[in-house]
Amino acid sequence: MTEVLKIENLHKSFGDLNVLNGIDLSVAKGDTIVILGASGSGKSTLLRCVNFMEIPSSGRIVLQGKPVGTEKADGINYPEKELTGLRARVGMVFQHFNLFPHMNVKQNVMEGPRTVLKCNQAECARRAEEYLDKVGLGWKAEAFPSQLSGGQQQRVAIARALAMEPEIMLFDEATSALDPELVGEVLETMKELADEGMTMLIVTHELGFAYTVADRVLFLADGKILEQGDPEKVLIHPQQEGTKNFLRGHGSFRLPEPVLD
Amino acid sequence: MEHVWDFSAVFSNWYLLLIGLKNTIVLAVVCLVLGLFFGLFVGAARYSGNRLFNWPATAFVEIFRNTPVLVQIMWFFFAFPIISPFDINAFTAAALGLTLNTVAFSSEIYRAGIQSIHKGQWEAAKALGMNYSQQMGRIILPQAVRRMIPAFMNRAVELVKMTSLASVIAYGELMHQAKTISTIEFNPIEMYTSVALIFFILIFPFTLLVQRFEIRSKAKG
Ligand SMILES: Nc1ncnc2c1ncn2[C@@H]1O[C@H](COP(=O)(O)OP(=O)(O)O)[C@@H](O)[C@H]1O
Ligand SMILES: [Mg+2]
Repeated sequence: MTEVLKIENLHKSFGDLNVLNGIDLSVAKGDTIVILGASGSGKSTLLRCVNFMEIPSSGRIVLQGKPVGTEKADGINYPEKELTGLRARVGMVFQHFNLFPHMNVKQNVMEGPRTVLKCNQAECARRAEEYLDKVGLGWKAEAFPSQLSGGQQQRVAIARALAMEPEIMLFDEATSALDPELVGEVLETMKELADEGMTMLIVTHELGFAYTVADRVLFLADGKILEQGDPEKVLIHPQQEGTKNFLRGHGSFRLPEPVLD
Repeated sequence: MEHVWDFSAVFSNWYLLLIGLKNTIVLAVVCLVLGLFFGLFVGAARYSGNRLFNWPATAFVEIFRNTPVLVQIMWFFFAFPIISPFDINAFTAAALGLTLNTVAFSSEIYRAGIQSIHKGQWEAAKALGMNYSQQMGRIILPQAVRRMIPAFMNRAVELVKMTSLASVIAYGELMHQAKTISTIEFNPIEMYTSVALIFFILIFPFTLLVQRFEIRSKAKG
């Protein structure tokens, strides 16, 4: 087993607010990990610490066996240059897509390889074609984001992240902003990635998706992992009261019986 | 009193007016180009979280926004030379006043334009691994500048009008030339009417352009 990502005793606070209170996690290559938790439990913050959109207050992030930052007497020092380099290796997909509206679909996908990786034109074009085809939107290459449906925009955003050929992908509620009928196409794309062996950390409220696709489910409460295990264990036979309450709140999703008892 | 309109002295002095027009345009263009250029940096400084940049930039902007341009021009012509090591002629004084004024206003346009871009755009750019200047240059500014163009064009119109203030320190722009001609020829009515007309012809097409642009960018959203 190759460990792609290891999180050690991760803490993050904003001022007086302690959002993450000691997270430990090991992610092997090809793992699909779904993170559940109530709103405000720190799911986004956890993902954002992995690609250093937020700087951890303490603890360690280890990517491909190499700890990020340099250990100093008063904590870990994170040079900006190292962080930009690290972000290029970690893909992120946002709730609100955040496509670049002044660029067409193809330019959106080529932007990272071009500006960050300094790929030549041919290589940029190859990547754009490959990853747009992968999300089924090669035929929309010349369209602008505003001309696409939400589901299509999110698939382009996934292609944009994939074009960096990242070592791990982070999804932060990638389908939460979508109309219900558009959720399926995005989940389908994510499932294909998981099947192809992409390493993924997924924050979602789609329990059905978590049940079918996840190798492991984490339940986050008060900035800690309250419960974790395979989907059957966490979603169907939760042990913790917090997890049970959360799942009851999602009762409208059809899941096998025991969860609702 | 019946006034008999007679524009002959206006026409016979066309060459002086042309020089005035040229000087007006030179002053406006110089101040606009320099003002927009340095405005970007002051705007960035105001936007910066670092107090070392942010404070002086804010003080600068507030001083120039809250004092009359005429006072600024007079100050640079009559007061500044006393403390300045080098000579200041009328053009330099006017250019300094109007440029710094434009810097202050355009920095606000830049700042508002940049702030109008959704936070998610910064995040997406950052998450791809872009550094700050790549985020700014490739993602934020191209979008923000489009939104700023009508405001910059309005500013250019204001600037052309403000150049006439330089006449008080005898810089030979259009207004000053008109003043000179009218004292010699005793034709203030025809002279100032003509000057108003020349300014109008110079500025009106631009104003129309701004309006069309504003309508277009509203339609685009
Ligand atoms: N940049 C920030 N500054 C201050 N507080 C923040 C910031 N980001 C998140 N928080 C707070 O941290 C808590 C957890 O947020 P988040 O990680 O977004 O939760 P979740 O994604 O699980 O809904 C919330 O209370 C939120 O208000
Ligand atoms: Mg969140």
